Amino acid sequence: MKHLLVIIALVAGLIKDDAPAGLYACKNVRITLYSSAPLEDIEAESNAGKSVFNPATGELAFNVAIRSFKFPKSLMQEHFNENYMESDKYPQASFRGKINEKIDVNANGSFPVTVSGVLDVHGVKQNRTVKGTVNVNNGSVSMSSEFMVRCADHNIEIPKLVFKKIAETIKMTVSATYSPLNNQAK
Amino acid sequence: MKKAFLFFVLILTLGIARAQTDTTATDSAMNMLNEGEKEESVIATFKASRLIYSQTTETVKKNNLNFLVIHRFGDIGGSDGGSSTLWGLDNSSDIYIGFEYGISDKLDVQFGRSKFEQMLELGLKYAILKQTADNSKPFALTVAGKMGLKPYKVTTEVFDDYTNRLSYMAQAIIARKFSSRFSLQISPTFIRNNLPFPFIEGNEQQFFALSAAARYKFTKRMGIVVDYSHPFSSFRQNSNSPKFYDPLAVGIEIETGGHVFTIDFANAKAISELNYLSDTESSWGKGQFRFGFTISRMFSFGPNKRNKDKSNY
Repeated sequence: MKHLLVIIALVAGLIKDDAPAGLYACKNVRITLYSSAPLEDIEAESNAGKSVFNPATGELAFNVAIRSFKFPKSLMQEHFNENYMESDKYPQASFRGKINEKIDVNANGSFPVTVSGVLDVHGVKQNRTVKGTVNVNNGSVSMSSEFMVRCADHNIEIPKLVFKKIAETIKMTVSATYSPLNNQAK
Repeated sequence: MKKAFLFFVLILTLGIARAQTDTTATDSAMNMLNEGEKEESVIATFKASRLIYSQTTETVKKNNLNFLVIHRFGDIGGSDGGSSTLWGLDNSSDIYIGFEYGISDKLDVQFGRSKFEQMLELGLKYAILKQTADNSKPFALTVAGKMGLKPYKVTTEVFDDYTNRLSYMAQAIIARKFSSRFSLQISPTFIRNNLPFPFIEGNEQQFFALSAAARYKFTKRMGIVVDYSHPFSSFRQNSNSPKFYDPLAVGIEIETGGHVFTIDFANAKAISELNYLSDTESSWGKGQFRFGFTISRMFSFGPNKRNKDKSNY
């Protein structure tokens, strides 16, 4: 195990050294979730998502700590973590994928895109293709997307007792403004 | 054969290494971004601010109001129990109605009234330490203090001096969530009754007690709770008439969104610490235990743009 860690560290170190220039990153991705049910609308927000975008390959990665989602009611927040997302077992949700269209970060404009990859929520991976928009404005890159996540797809159980309060499908929005990674170092 | 195998392994390893380098440019950048994330505190050590008798380390969060109704029925067995009282359901040993309001996420103020001794009580509870996931803080620490007032003539005629009506409690609650299922807490407690309670010659005005309580969840929303206390009081230890017993209770805790219900069996008649630590004269062994329940309902009064016309959570 120790050896494995050393090897991983070495590999990671090597990669870091020849990480291609031109990676874009965002440390404060805004992610919201919205559940609309007969008895109650529930909305939560995190501004602590992380994202990395590689314009050369189109690779796109997102990570967010489940605990960073803030709810208007503290009890909801506790139940979200404790009963639904089990954030002690699955502390992060992530997405790893590729933008299917080629994005030129030197050309200003707004481009509709589709992104295909793996969405990992509550420890369950799902292949997803979602629509989004990429905005390029004088070297600054921003992205936004809206998509639905079915609780059942990720083994998130909603007890019958509260099904009128929590929707089976949750609307997610993601928005990120990127800057070149090297400028962010330290 | 062996060589071929080694060669195969080598090729495979190279292949994997290659495959990794294809994707990890983004991943390593991601790891860099995630570095130095602050360690998360452990939440929901307990579902409610009370187990059966004991207060837990949980405080009511800012702008939330917890409404408590706690009930203890009469003795199930023994001379006061049996079918003539429907196993105690005809009687109520104690009824407690309480409110706990969160001033901040760490501090709440509590007010309650017991049938037992008709006691009014006012208290504060403050969460000092939170357990952290990395065990740099292996447990949570909360302190609680309360003052009880017996406004009416109760078991004694000797409330000549008004201060004799007052009792105090100071408590440190130390809890650890061992897993998402199992949490344990111990709480050293100091009790002071200005007039010794019960008012019997030789009884102490003040004494220490130690409580231990635990929860084991068998589903996400249901668990078994156990609660035990021992007062360190030589008077209570040695007294034969009345005889004193250690409070012990077992129950089932059920959470349904905004409510937490506890259904329990307990030997102590009283609900407030000031009463049950001072005066538990009923024994499990003699059938002097009772059915009881706790309803804990959380209301949220925080700034809430939406949900105006929809129900409270």
